[in-house]
Amino acid sequence: MEKTLQVLNDLARSGVLSRYAIGGAMGATFYVEPVLTFDLDIFVILPQTVSGLLTLKPLYEGLRARGYTEEGECMNIEGVPVQFLPAHNDLLVEAMTEAREVLYEQTPTRVLRAEHLTAIALQTGRDKDRERVRLLREQAELDRDYLANVLTRHSLEGKWKAWTT
Amino acid sequence: MEGMDNLKPEIERLITAKEQRRHKLAALSFAEKVRLVVKLQQMAVPVLRARGRAVRVWAIDDLKLVVPK
Repeated sequence: MEKTLQVLNDLARSGVLSRYAIGGAMGATFYVEPVLTFDLDIFVILPQTVSGLLTLKPLYEGLRARGYTEEGECMNIEGVPVQFLPAHNDLLVEAMTEAREVLYEQTPTRVLRAEHLTAIALQTGRDKDRERVRLLREQAELDRDYLANVLTRHSLEGKWKAWTT
Repeated sequence: MEGMDNLKPEIERLITAKEQRRHKLAALSFAEKVRLVVKLQQMAVPVLRARGRAVRVWAIDDLKLVVPK
Protein backbone atom coordinates (compact mmCIF):
# COMPACT_ATOMS: atom_id res chain seq x y z
CA MET A 1 0.00 0.00 0.00
CA GLU A 2 3.01 2.27 0.40
CA LYS A 3 3.32 2.67 -3.38
CA THR A 4 -0.38 3.57 -3.57
CA LEU A 5 0.12 6.32 -1.01
CA GLN A 6 3.19 7.57 -2.87
CA VAL A 7 1.04 7.97 -5.99
CA LEU A 8 -1.57 9.91 -3.98
CA ASN A 9 1.17 12.17 -2.58
CA ASP A 10 2.42 12.74 -6.09
CA LEU A 11 -1.10 13.71 -7.23
CA ALA A 12 -1.35 16.19 -4.36
CA ARG A 13 2.08 17.65 -5.19
CA SER A 14 1.09 18.09 -8.82
CA GLY A 15 -2.15 19.86 -7.86
CA VAL A 16 -4.54 17.24 -9.27
CA LEU A 17 -6.07 17.10 -5.80
CA SER A 18 -5.74 19.70 -3.03
CA ARG A 19 -5.67 17.31 -0.11
CA TYR A 20 -6.49 13.70 0.67
CA ALA A 21 -7.02 11.54 3.76
CA ILE A 22 -7.68 7.87 4.40
CA GLY A 23 -11.15 7.12 5.75
CA GLY A 24 -13.59 4.22 5.75
CA ALA A 25 -12.64 0.79 7.02
CA MET A 26 -8.93 1.35 6.43
CA GLY A 27 -9.06 4.66 8.27
CA ALA A 28 -10.72 2.88 11.19
CA THR A 29 -8.12 0.11 11.00
CA PHE A 30 -5.47 2.72 11.83
CA TYR A 31 -7.07 2.94 15.31
CA VAL A 32 -8.61 -0.50 15.89
CA GLU A 33 -7.98 -4.16 15.09
CA PRO A 34 -7.73 -4.96 11.35
CA VAL A 35 -11.12 -4.86 9.64
CA LEU A 36 -11.88 -6.74 6.43
CA THR A 37 -12.23 -4.42 3.47
CA PHE A 38 -11.62 -4.65 -0.26
CA ASP A 39 -11.13 -1.01 -1.15
CA LEU A 40 -9.27 1.97 0.17
CA ASP A 41 -11.58 4.94 0.78
CA ILE A 42 -9.77 8.18 0.08
CA PHE A 43 -11.52 11.43 0.90
CA VAL A 44 -10.37 14.27 -1.30
CA ILE A 45 -10.67 18.02 -1.52
CA LEU A 46 -10.57 18.84 -5.19
CA PRO A 47 -9.15 21.99 -6.70
CA GLN A 48 -11.89 24.16 -8.18
CA THR A 49 -12.09 24.24 -11.98
CA VAL A 50 -12.40 27.44 -13.99
CA SER A 51 -16.16 26.85 -14.25
CA GLY A 52 -16.35 26.50 -10.45
CA LEU A 53 -17.39 22.87 -10.70
CA LEU A 54 -15.89 20.23 -8.45
CA THR A 55 -15.33 17.05 -10.39
CA LEU A 56 -13.30 13.87 -10.06
CA LYS A 57 -12.59 13.92 -13.80
CA PRO A 58 -9.12 15.58 -13.67
CA LEU A 59 -8.12 13.17 -10.91
CA TYR A 60 -9.20 10.16 -12.95
CA GLU A 61 -7.49 11.58 -16.02
CA GLY A 62 -4.29 12.17 -14.04
CA LEU A 63 -4.36 8.55 -12.90
CA ARG A 64 -5.08 7.20 -16.38
CA ALA A 65 -2.15 9.25 -17.70
CA ARG A 66 0.01 7.46 -15.14
CA GLY A 67 -1.20 4.10 -16.47
CA TYR A 68 -3.76 3.23 -13.79
CA THR A 69 -7.12 1.78 -14.73
CA GLU A 70 -10.66 1.90 -13.43
CA GLU A 71 -12.09 -1.08 -11.61
CA GLY A 72 -15.80 -0.55 -11.03
CA GLU A 73 -16.18 2.48 -8.77
CA CYS A 74 -12.47 2.42 -7.95
CA MET A 75 -9.13 3.17 -9.57
CA ASN A 76 -6.61 0.38 -9.26
CA ILE A 77 -3.48 2.09 -7.98
CA GLU A 78 -0.50 -0.21 -7.46
CA GLY A 79 -2.70 -3.21 -6.74
CA VAL A 80 -5.13 -1.45 -4.41
CA PRO A 81 -8.66 -0.50 -5.52
CA VAL A 82 -8.98 3.11 -4.40
CA GLN A 83 -12.37 4.76 -4.10
CA PHE A 84 -12.20 8.55 -4.17
CA LEU A 85 -14.89 10.36 -2.21
CA PRO A 86 -15.07 14.14 -2.52
CA ALA A 87 -15.59 15.97 0.78
CA HIS A 88 -19.19 16.98 0.05
CA ASN A 89 -20.43 18.31 3.35
CA ASP A 90 -19.26 20.36 6.34
CA LEU A 91 -18.41 17.32 8.46
CA LEU A 92 -16.19 15.83 5.74
CA VAL A 93 -14.45 19.14 5.01
CA GLU A 94 -13.74 19.55 8.74
CA ALA A 95 -12.54 15.95 8.98
CA MET A 96 -10.17 16.50 6.04
CA THR A 97 -8.83 19.74 7.50
CA GLU A 98 -8.12 18.14 10.85
CA ALA A 99 -6.85 14.77 9.58
CA ARG A 100 -3.75 13.36 11.28
CA GLU A 101 -0.45 13.33 9.46
CA VAL A 102 1.15 9.92 9.93
CA LEU A 103 3.85 7.78 8.39
CA TYR A 104 3.05 4.55 6.57
CA GLU A 105 6.43 2.83 6.73
CA GLN A 106 8.56 5.64 5.17
CA THR A 107 5.74 7.46 3.39
CA PRO A 108 3.83 10.39 4.86
CA THR A 109 0.06 10.21 4.57
CA ARG A 110 -3.08 11.47 6.29
CA VAL A 111 -5.74 9.56 8.22
CA LEU A 112 -9.01 11.01 9.45
CA ARG A 113 -9.18 11.42 13.23
CA ALA A 114 -10.97 8.63 15.10
CA GLU A 115 -13.54 11.15 16.35
CA HIS A 116 -14.37 12.20 12.79
CA LEU A 117 -14.53 8.58 11.61
CA THR A 118 -17.05 8.03 14.42
CA ALA A 119 -19.10 11.07 13.40
CA ILE A 120 -19.01 10.10 9.71
CA ALA A 121 -20.19 6.57 10.58
CA LEU A 122 -23.05 8.06 12.61
CA GLN A 123 -23.98 10.35 9.74
CA THR A 124 -23.83 7.55 7.15
CA GLY A 125 -25.86 5.28 9.37
CA ARG A 126 -25.61 1.80 7.80
CA ASP A 127 -25.34 -1.42 9.80
CA LYS A 128 -21.61 -1.60 9.13
CA ASP A 129 -21.24 1.97 10.38
CA ARG A 130 -22.90 0.96 13.64
CA GLU A 131 -20.33 -1.81 13.98
CA ARG A 132 -17.56 0.69 13.20
CA VAL A 133 -18.79 3.03 15.94
CA ARG A 134 -18.82 0.11 18.36
CA LEU A 135 -15.23 -0.82 17.47
CA LEU A 136 -13.98 2.76 17.65
CA ARG A 137 -15.62 3.24 21.06
CA GLU A 138 -14.10 0.02 22.31
CA GLN A 139 -10.58 0.20 20.92
CA ALA A 140 -9.69 3.71 19.74
CA GLU A 141 -8.59 6.25 22.30
CA LEU A 142 -11.33 8.75 21.55
CA ASP A 143 -10.93 12.26 22.88
CA ARG A 144 -14.36 12.56 24.51
CA ASP A 145 -14.43 16.39 24.62
CA TYR A 146 -13.31 16.68 21.02
CA LEU A 147 -15.88 14.09 19.94
CA ALA A 148 -18.65 15.86 21.87
CA ASN A 149 -17.84 19.11 20.06
CA VAL A 150 -17.85 17.40 16.64
CA LEU A 151 -21.18 15.72 17.41
CA THR A 152 -22.72 19.01 18.56
CA ARG A 153 -21.42 20.98 15.57
CA HIS A 154 -22.91 18.47 13.15
CA SER A 155 -26.13 17.69 15.07
CA LEU A 156 -25.22 14.05 15.69
CA GLU A 157 -25.69 13.86 19.49
CA GLY A 158 -29.12 12.21 19.13
CA LYS A 159 -27.77 9.49 16.85
CA TRP A 160 -24.81 8.95 19.19
CA LYS A 161 -27.18 8.50 22.13
CA ALA A 162 -29.42 6.16 20.16
CA TRP A 163 -26.49 4.00 19.07
CA THR A 164 -24.58 3.90 22.34
CA THR A 165 -27.22 3.54 25.06
CA MET B 1 -25.66 -27.50 36.33
CA GLU B 2 -22.52 -28.17 38.35
CA GLY B 3 -20.70 -29.03 35.11
CA MET B 4 -21.69 -25.65 33.66
CA ASP B 5 -20.41 -23.86 36.78
CA ASN B 6 -17.06 -25.62 36.38
CA LEU B 7 -16.89 -24.43 32.79
CA LYS B 8 -17.56 -20.79 33.64
CA PRO B 9 -14.00 -19.84 34.76
CA GLU B 10 -12.60 -21.47 31.62
CA ILE B 11 -15.03 -19.56 29.38
CA GLU B 12 -14.19 -16.32 31.18
CA ARG B 13 -10.48 -17.00 30.70
CA LEU B 14 -11.03 -17.59 26.97
CA ILE B 15 -13.08 -14.40 26.58
CA THR B 16 -10.43 -12.36 28.42
CA ALA B 17 -7.65 -13.84 26.26
CA LYS B 18 -9.63 -13.07 23.12
CA GLU B 19 -10.18 -9.49 24.25
CA GLN B 20 -6.47 -9.08 25.01
CA ARG B 21 -5.56 -10.36 21.55
CA ARG B 22 -7.93 -7.88 19.90
CA HIS B 23 -6.31 -5.02 21.82
CA LYS B 24 -2.85 -6.30 20.82
CA LEU B 25 -3.99 -6.30 17.19
CA ALA B 26 -5.33 -2.76 17.58
CA ALA B 27 -1.91 -1.66 18.86
CA LEU B 28 0.02 -2.95 15.82
CA SER B 29 1.56 -0.49 13.37
CA PHE B 30 -0.62 0.63 10.46
CA ALA B 31 1.54 -1.31 7.98
CA GLU B 32 1.26 -4.52 10.01
CA LYS B 33 -2.51 -4.10 10.17
CA VAL B 34 -2.69 -3.64 6.40
CA ARG B 35 -0.79 -6.92 5.99
CA LEU B 36 -3.38 -8.59 8.24
CA VAL B 37 -6.23 -7.06 6.23
CA VAL B 38 -4.72 -8.70 3.14
CA LYS B 39 -4.58 -12.02 5.03
CA LEU B 40 -8.27 -11.53 5.89
CA GLN B 41 -8.98 -10.86 2.22
CA GLN B 42 -7.20 -14.09 1.27
CA MET B 43 -9.46 -15.98 3.69
CA ALA B 44 -12.67 -14.21 2.72
CA VAL B 45 -12.36 -14.06 -1.07
CA PRO B 46 -13.23 -17.71 -1.85
CA VAL B 47 -16.34 -17.55 0.33
CA LEU B 48 -17.51 -14.20 -1.04
CA ARG B 49 -16.83 -15.17 -4.64
CA ALA B 50 -18.88 -18.32 -4.13
CA ARG B 51 -21.72 -15.99 -3.09
CA GLY B 52 -21.28 -14.00 -6.31
CA ARG B 53 -19.38 -10.98 -4.99
CA ALA B 54 -16.68 -9.62 -7.29
CA VAL B 55 -13.86 -9.14 -4.80
CA ARG B 56 -10.14 -9.74 -4.98
CA VAL B 57 -7.09 -9.74 -2.79
CA TRP B 58 -4.95 -6.59 -2.98
CA ALA B 59 -1.92 -7.18 -5.18
CA ILE B 60 0.58 -5.33 -3.00
CA ASP B 61 4.15 -6.38 -2.45
CA ASP B 62 4.65 -5.14 1.13
CA LEU B 63 3.40 -8.39 2.65
CA LYS B 64 6.10 -9.60 5.05
CA LEU B 65 3.84 -10.50 7.93
CA VAL B 66 4.53 -9.96 11.61
CA VAL B 67 1.67 -11.40 13.65
CA PRO B 68 1.66 -10.96 17.46
CA LYS B 69 1.56 -14.11 19.59
